[in-house]
Amino acid sequence: MGRTKYESVDASPVKSFFVSMLTRDIKLEEAILDLLDNCVDGILRTGKKTGSEPYKGFKAEIEFREDSFTLSDNCGGIPWVLHDYAFRMGRSFGRPQDVPGTVGVYGIGMKRAIFKMGRQCLVSTRNGADQYEIEITPQWILDENQWSIPVKSASKSMDQDGTVIVIGDLYPGISKRFNEDAKAFRSELDRMVSTHYAFIIDKGFEVRINGDVIKPRPTKLIFKDVPQGTSAIQPYIFKSKSDGVDVFMTVGFTRPIPSENEIAGEQEEKRYSSLDAGWTVICNDRAVLYCDRSELTGWGEAGVPRYHTQFIAISGIVEFKADDASKLPTTTTKRGIDASSSLYLQVKNKMREGMLLFTNYTNKWKGRAEESKKQVELSEALSFEEIKTKSQSLPFKSTKRYVLEGEQYKPSLPMPKRLEPTKRRISFVKEATEVEKVGEYLFNNADAEPSEVGERCFDLMLKEAQK
Amino acid sequence: MKHPPYHLRINKAVDRFALIEAIRRLEKLGNLNEYNYYGLGGPYLEEFRLLYEFYPEIDMFSIEQDEETYKRQKFHLPCGTLHLENMDVKSFLARYDSGGKKSIVWLDYTGLEYSDFEDFMLLLTRVAEKSMVKITLRAEPRDYFNKGEEFRKKFSAIMPRPSEDPPPMVHDFAYLLQEMLQISSQKALPADVPIKFQPVSSFYYSDGTNMYTLTGVIWPRREKTAVKQVFKGWKFANLTWSEPRLIDIPTLSTKERLCLEGFLPCLKSPGKTLRKALGYLIDEDVPITEAKLKQYADFHRYSPYFLRGIP
Repeated sequence: MGRTKYESVDASPVKSFFVSMLTRDIKLEEAILDLLDNCVDGILRTGKKTGSEPYKGFKAEIEFREDSFTLSDNCGGIPWVLHDYAFRMGRSFGRPQDVPGTVGVYGIGMKRAIFKMGRQCLVSTRNGADQYEIEITPQWILDENQWSIPVKSASKSMDQDGTVIVIGDLYPGISKRFNEDAKAFRSELDRMVSTHYAFIIDKGFEVRINGDVIKPRPTKLIFKDVPQGTSAIQPYIFKSKSDGVDVFMTVGFTRPIPSENEIAGEQEEKRYSSLDAGWTVICNDRAVLYCDRSELTGWGEAGVPRYHTQFIAISGIVEFKADDASKLPTTTTKRGIDASSSLYLQVKNKMREGMLLFTNYTNKWKGRAEESKKQVELSEALSFEEIKTKSQSLPFKSTKRYVLEGEQYKPSLPMPKRLEPTKRRISFVKEATEVEKVGEYLFNNADAEPSEVGERCFDLMLKEAQK
Repeated sequence: MKHPPYHLRINKAVDRFALIEAIRRLEKLGNLNEYNYYGLGGPYLEEFRLLYEFYPEIDMFSIEQDEETYKRQKFHLPCGTLHLENMDVKSFLARYDSGGKKSIVWLDYTGLEYSDFEDFMLLLTRVAEKSMVKITLRAEPRDYFNKGEEFRKKFSAIMPRPSEDPPPMVHDFAYLLQEMLQISSQKALPADVPIKFQPVSSFYYSDGTNMYTLTGVIWPRREKTAVKQVFKGWKFANLTWSEPRLIDIPTLSTKERLCLEGFLPCLKSPGKTLRKALGYLIDEDVPITEAKLKQYADFHRYSPYFLRGIP
C-alpha cells in the first residue's frame, strides 16, 4: 500500500491546557492546601516522623500580598533524585516508589497551584547537599515547544532543608483577592487550614498565614465512660484493613441533641455560620472532605434520613491510611472523595450503619431534649486521636459477614421510656410574641424556653383547680 | 411590647446626628430627593423625626414587625412623607426592589446574630449604587464570656481569625464586629464587582448596653476618590476600616453646657480647658473628667438637649 494522508495525528500535550484549564478545577484555597500537602510529603521523606507529635518542629509559612505569594517550609526540600518528577506535569510510570504515607499521586499539585496564581515562579530548595532553584517565566509558559526548565545552583544559601516558592506576576483576579479582598480571603484560608489540617496541626505541624499561627479546629465526640453493658452516649467505631489501606471510622454526638425551639429558630433564620455536623474524611492525615452532609457520605440513602437541622449534633470521621497513596479514595484535587471507589462504597455502608444509630436516637428523643441532655452530663468530648486510644480498651466484635471485613464497637444508646399510661403529653402552638410576654410575666425572661412557659402555666392552673 | 426610652439615650442620639452629618456629605455627591430612607425606628420614630427636620425631600419608610408598636408608630407619625410598613426585616429584604432608586438603609439591630450579617450582605447586593447602608449591632463581650466555641460556631465563616475566642474588652470586641462586617462586605461585593462598600464612619457606645455601628456607601470602585474627597474633611470619618471611635459623652446640665459654649470648639487640650472652665470634677478623678470632657468637646455639636416641656 502506498502512503496515505492518514499517517498520524498530533496527540502531544498543549501547555496552555495545564496552565489555563487544569487550574479551573480547583479553588484558590484548595490549590494552596495542595502546596501544604507537598510540605507534609516532604516531612515523610525526611524519615523523622515519630512519636505522638510526629510533625513537631516542621512548619510552613504562607505570605500573600498584592503582588506576590510565598510559601516557605523547613520540610526537607525536594531531593535532586526527584527533580525530574517534581516538575513534570503529571506523574510518569517510571517514577521511583515514594516513601509510605505521602498523598501526591498525580504530580500536578504544585504546578497547578503556581499556574492558578501567576505567570512567574521561583522555586528554591535545599535537601542535604543539594541546593538548587528553578524559575518558571511568562516566556516559558507561552512557548509551546519548550518543556524543559533550566536549573541553577541556589543563588541564596538556605539555613535548613526546605523549599521556598515565590509566585509573582499574579493574575489580576488573584491580586485583587490578596489585596482588596484580603480580609475575606485570609479568613477563608484560615478556616480551611484549621479544619482540613486540624489532624496534622494537632500532631505538631505549624502553619502560619501572614505571620499568625493557625490553630486547629478538631471535631470532638461525646464519650461517657460507663461499665460495660450499660447504656450511654458513646460513638460507634469501625476499623478494618483492606488491600493495604487501614480504615478507622467513628460517628457520634458532638453536643446534646437540639431542642424543638432551637430547630425551629435555625429554620427561621440561620444562627450558625458553620456546623460540626456531618462527615469528615481523612486520607493520610489530611482531611479531604469536611463536615459533608450530602448523599456522598450516606445522608438520605438506604434508610438514613436526609440531613436536617434536628441532626445538628451528629458528626463522623473516617480515616483512610495507605503507604501507597493511589489506593486512597481521593480525587485529583485531593479535596474530594472518589465516590465510585469500591473501598469507599464498602466503608460508606458502615458509615450509614453507624449514622442510623444516632438519627434513630435523635428521633426517639425528639421533644425530650432536656431529658436527653442529662445523658451527656459528666461525659467528655474526645478528639479523633483520643477515640483511637480509647478504642483499644473497648470490646470490638468482628463483622465478617460484611463484604469489608473488620471490627466494630456498637454502643448501647439510652432509649426513652414509654410514657406511663397515666400520663399524657400536651403540645400546642402559640404566637411567639405571646409566649415571650408570658415568659416575661412568669420568669422575667422573654427568652424562656416555650416548653417551660407552657409547663409552668399548666402547673399554676392545676394549683388553682385543686383549691 | 416594652421598649427602653430610645429617644432619651444620649450616646445613641449622638450617633443619630452623626448619620445626619454623613447624609449631609452624601448630598455633595448627588441630590437627596433621589433617595429613599428605610429604617427600624421603634415606637418613637426618632430618627425619622430628625431626618424630616433636616432633609424633608427624602421619602421615608419605617419597617416594624410588632403590631402594637406599629400602631404606636401611627400615633407618633411625625410627617406625611413617612410610610409605615408592618413587616419584619427579612420580609422587607425579600420584597425590597430599589427600582434603580438610591436608598439610605439603617439596619438598626438590638442583638447580634449571624443572620444580621446575612441581611447586611444581601442588602449590599440589592441596593442601587451610590446608596448608603448603616448597621448597628450589639457589642457585648460578656455575652460570650467563656463561650468562645459558641461564638465560633455562630460566626466563624466571617471571622478574621476563625479559631480564636472573641476578645473580652468592649473596644476590641467592637473592632472584631467591624472586621466581620468588612469580610461580609468583601464576600457580598468581591473585587471583581465594579461597586464596593466604602466605610465612612464607625462608632461604639453604651447607653446601658454596648453597641457598635458602621455606616458606609455602595459606590463604583472607579469613583472611590470622590467619596474619600467628600468625607475626608469630617472629623469622625473612618475611610480605611481603622478602629471604631468611642462615643461616651458625659451627662452635663444645661447650665454647664451653656457655660462651656464659649470655649468650643476647642482644639488644644480640650479636656483640660473645659475642666478648668467648669472649675470642678464631673467624674472620679482628673484624667477621667478630662477624658469625658474631651468626648463632649468632640461631639458637642451632635449632643442633644433634654429639657422639660409643657405639653
